[in-house]
Amino acid sequence: MSAPTQRAETDLTRAGETGVDLSDPRLTRFDLVREGARRNGIEIVLYEPRFPVPGSRVERRLERVVALLFLIAGAAGLGFVIAYIWWPWEYEFGPDSLSKFYTPVLGVTLGVSLFAVALALVAWVKKLLPHEIAIEERHDGASSDDDRQLMEATLANAGQESGVSRRPLLKGALALGLAPVGLAVAAPLIGGLIRDPHRPMYDEVGVSRQFHTGFHPGLNGGRPVRLVREDGTPIRPEDVSVSGQITVFPGIPGGTTNEFADSPTLLIHLRQADADELRENLYELNQGSMLGNFVAYSKVCTHAGCPPSLYEQQTNRLLCPCHQSQFLITDNARPVFGPATRSLAMLPLDVDEEGYFVAASDYKVPVGPSFWER
Amino acid sequence: MLAGVLYTVFAPGLAAQDEPLSNDAQQGRAIYEQSCISCHGNNGQGVPGRGPSLIGVGEAAVEFQVSTGRMPLARQGAQAEPKPPVWRGEELERNVRYLSAYIDALGGGPRMPAGTDLGANGDPAVGGELYRINCSSCHGYSGGGGALSAGAFAPGLLDATDRQIWAAMLSGPQNMPVFGDNQLTPQEKADIIAFINTLSEDGDPGGVFNLGRFGPSTEGLAIFLVGIVGIVIATLWIAGKS
Amino acid sequence: MTSIVKPSRLKRRKQQLKEMPAATGRGLDERLQLASPPARSFLNKVFPDHWSFLLGEIALWSFVVLLLTGTFLTLFFEPSMDEVTYQGSYTALQDVEMSAAYASTLNLSFDVRGGLFIRQMHHWAALLFIAAIVVHMLRIFFTGAFRKPRELNWIIGVALFWLAFLLGFTGYSLPDDALSGTGLRIGHAIMLAVPVIGTWLAYALFDGPFPGELIISRIYIVHVFILPLTVLGLITLHLIIMFKQKHTQWPGPGRTNRNVVGERFFPRYAAKQGAFFFIVFGAIALMGGLFQINPVWLFGPYKAAVVSVASQPDWYVLFLEGATRLFPAWETRFTLFGEHYTLPNAFWPAVLFPGIVAITMFAYPFIEARLRKDKGIHNLLERPRDVPKRTAFGAAALTFYVILTVSGANDVVAKVFDISLNAMTWIGRVGVILLPAVVYLATYRLCLGLQQHDREVLAHGIETGIIRRRPDGGFYEVHQPLGPTDERGRGGLEYTGWTVPKKMNRIGALAPAVRGFFVPLEKAAPSSPAPTRAALEEPGPNGERPSVEEASSDQKE
Repeated sequence: MSAPTQRAETDLTRAGETGVDLSDPRLTRFDLVREGARRNGIEIVLYEPRFPVPGSRVERRLERVVALLFLIAGAAGLGFVIAYIWWPWEYEFGPDSLSKFYTPVLGVTLGVSLFAVALALVAWVKKLLPHEIAIEERHDGASSDDDRQLMEATLANAGQESGVSRRPLLKGALALGLAPVGLAVAAPLIGGLIRDPHRPMYDEVGVSRQFHTGFHPGLNGGRPVRLVREDGTPIRPEDVSVSGQITVFPGIPGGTTNEFADSPTLLIHLRQADADELRENLYELNQGSMLGNFVAYSKVCTHAGCPPSLYEQQTNRLLCPCHQSQFLITDNARPVFGPATRSLAMLPLDVDEEGYFVAASDYKVPVGPSFWER
Repeated sequence: MLAGVLYTVFAPGLAAQDEPLSNDAQQGRAIYEQSCISCHGNNGQGVPGRGPSLIGVGEAAVEFQVSTGRMPLARQGAQAEPKPPVWRGEELERNVRYLSAYIDALGGGPRMPAGTDLGANGDPAVGGELYRINCSSCHGYSGGGGALSAGAFAPGLLDATDRQIWAAMLSGPQNMPVFGDNQLTPQEKADIIAFINTLSEDGDPGGVFNLGRFGPSTEGLAIFLVGIVGIVIATLWIAGKS
Repeated sequence: MTSIVKPSRLKRRKQQLKEMPAATGRGLDERLQLASPPARSFLNKVFPDHWSFLLGEIALWSFVVLLLTGTFLTLFFEPSMDEVTYQGSYTALQDVEMSAAYASTLNLSFDVRGGLFIRQMHHWAALLFIAAIVVHMLRIFFTGAFRKPRELNWIIGVALFWLAFLLGFTGYSLPDDALSGTGLRIGHAIMLAVPVIGTWLAYALFDGPFPGELIISRIYIVHVFILPLTVLGLITLHLIIMFKQKHTQWPGPGRTNRNVVGERFFPRYAAKQGAFFFIVFGAIALMGGLFQINPVWLFGPYKAAVVSVASQPDWYVLFLEGATRLFPAWETRFTLFGEHYTLPNAFWPAVLFPGIVAITMFAYPFIEARLRKDKGIHNLLERPRDVPKRTAFGAAALTFYVILTVSGANDVVAKVFDISLNAMTWIGRVGVILLPAVVYLATYRLCLGLQQHDREVLAHGIETGIIRRRPDGGFYEVHQPLGPTDERGRGGLEYTGWTVPKKMNRIGALAPAVRGFFVPLEKAAPSSPAPTRAALEEPGPNGERPSVEEASSDQKE
């Protein structure tokens, strides 16, 4: 059964302008399709099968191509399943292991399979299905006047019947009553989330985490906090090479973990000339914070909090890799390039009786990025 | 005359010159006076504006700078660039040994251990933690290197030999800080080298292309150049053009 | 029991089976009235056919892939910050302390069969999702498809862009690796940069100081529940509105502002949609298998003291990263009633700037309508050249965005191309002001030039490339007029807002002789095949010379 080409002019379709009788036995299936579309406001103006003569060589060629594509899809899909089950997948060190190709093989087989399905479908639609052009009327703009009037009346009636406008007592009570209920619903959700940034961090320490770090003696029973490596071992001055730097943490429980993310510190052993230069440049706040040629700066950038740990031994700059702020080590780590605006805080250094580095006190300014109350 | 005797006894440079140099050191001096003296001076004291003092830099510095080809310097710039070393193969090894002996005799400094497989007894997992605390900020998580301020950069590590990495840690070349054996013990250095070797030797389990291991920047480029372009080509095929 | 011959039970069963689809359809219709006109209008809806209308669907299908792959990932991921010791197969992290979230991500990548593949598909699909949204948004912008009555859909689309941004950010922060943890740290600092309530905002989200113990599980719920649900709802709304208002279309033959010309949804368009889903899925599968993405095992677990050079967020965040890197070191400090206050530096590029961008994006349709004093309904698209100011503004905005994005990766560019890092920052600072202005002017002139050329071709015809010589020696080029011309050879065609053909093959000349890509689809039509010599010379049955037709080989299909 072939579909009509172009505008197949039958008496029935012409009759369709005014109304087709669906019970007419002379109607073809396409006439029904056309009538259905017409009743939806759509006119099919062109409907042209690709192959006016069915069974031609070209058509069969194309069918074979589509069929082949589906078969390729199936084969690749099968390849995916087989590879998924039987290709060695467990991690092995080294570049030559077959398991390094597990993911690529899965990707290629699945990708080829899916692409083949897609190609087959598109070829089917583009080359085998009839070509058609249809036109649909838009019905833009406002609804009809009648509809508007009816809707207005319906909505307004509800408002008026409820009598809120002519019952001021109810109106007032509604407002006064519902607002607190709304608050009651929102309160736990918002209230439960609120944490006071200025609350003291622990009972023993009467200061907030926003302004102090893990080097506060209050966290160590009032004693100065030792500087430790990431494995927890304390450090002596002889353990840091000249022109070297080492990352240190507060020597308290959890001091090396992310619990004290604002506390990592960069301990630098400067060359004599550089140390002298720094001593001459020290801010009043930082006077006495150096220990010999050692200086310790906060490893939390004052811009956005990344660790500015690119220590350039020759230019004496500390580069932060996140936004390229550069801090001059020989001048209180003040920012000389990039978006940072404050110097890195300096940790006052001392040694305890056993010769290990300690923090003489906590940082004298809040470390890390600026905030409103600073 | 007393002043002269006192001067002779106590002046350091002259005292060093008076000690007999070993054979290796003598060969080293010959090479030094040909390739290095113009920037580093007569006795390694340095020439302002051209080359720093070599007193106290030790074997490690020589090993690093010469075997990576940075020294002899081709031209002054933001920093010395690695380039193919002047000597090759065995000649390179020998000359490094000679120069090291000479510089060591000149002013002492950190010494290199023996052997070439310096990461053999290292634990890569421990090395990885040390690497990420001390090294990744300049050399990158994947050891690919990165930019420093004003034209300087930290080089990639994946093509470096174990000895070069050890030498760099010990000598702190140019902008790199010094990691002496007091700060990173030899075992810790071996751990770090073992970790760096896993970076260079391990394949990429995630695919055939690792996009340079640069991270999200090249991944973003790939999604546009490969993903979007490819799919848009498909849309041009599927749908019409008018 | 009568003894009528009944059809065998097997035959009855087969009959029932054949009728099952129809029977099911009838049953559903009795209950749901599925055969009603609205349902049929859904099948019959007309969609115009242009390749640029498929860009939004890239986003739609990648979202579907995200949901599918994401579901798989949730079955293995542990959104917990409890410290564990890694005992999996990746040797370079053996016995390292890390959060359970990171450990479960490593587990997914190395100890779950196919886990790495699904993880990579998920991440590539996320990048594709947002890239497609951006490309689709640009298409809508440059063709004016956001104008009345589609402003609501534009607003929903912009909302989808920002929600997708958040989805991506929360998604890549879940593994709690060093790279994304650094990003969270910066996000925390950005929250702190909000005036007055900044510290409260940050402490509320992180349940205390950074990083706290809850952030990963909170991000998890936002990423797998709150945001996907919202996005799904908005996408549904977006599509329903698009269906209801019908798609816009290019001007052209038979197309008016009051109709849609194209093909019906069912079966052609729907089949193409299905095919497109497979293309997007296939592309994601290929990339997920061939290109490594987000190798978290190389980054290590997040520790506050660890960072790497070349740290970037995912590409869609890079424009904010670039703004933050380029912004000069300006910070406002003041005292009020004896208390110190700071307006942090990060406020300007990371809070105010994206806020202004978002508001401008949302309000753009109304801004443009007011500037153009245009309250009409528009269903026909505008060619970019016909709206030079909008196109130039869009090109300048895109340039601004691209420069910021590249500046977000300026340390990678510095390393790869051996440029000083400080120089890259200055190039970015100057470029981001200068280049958009230059691009605006250049694009404006380009649009005017293209408009001019259109009208010139309409008036004078297509240049054929055939040069002739006049008797007086002068050369002239033959032009092919596009329509009726007056006595001086000038055409009177009006510009209709659609492509003016500018090459001979666009008006049907020089069509390809043979259809087919690799091999001809059909042999050439036997219009006048060459007769064979022998056939010509062989006498016919009556002795006369054969006709040309008879002498030709029979080429009929």
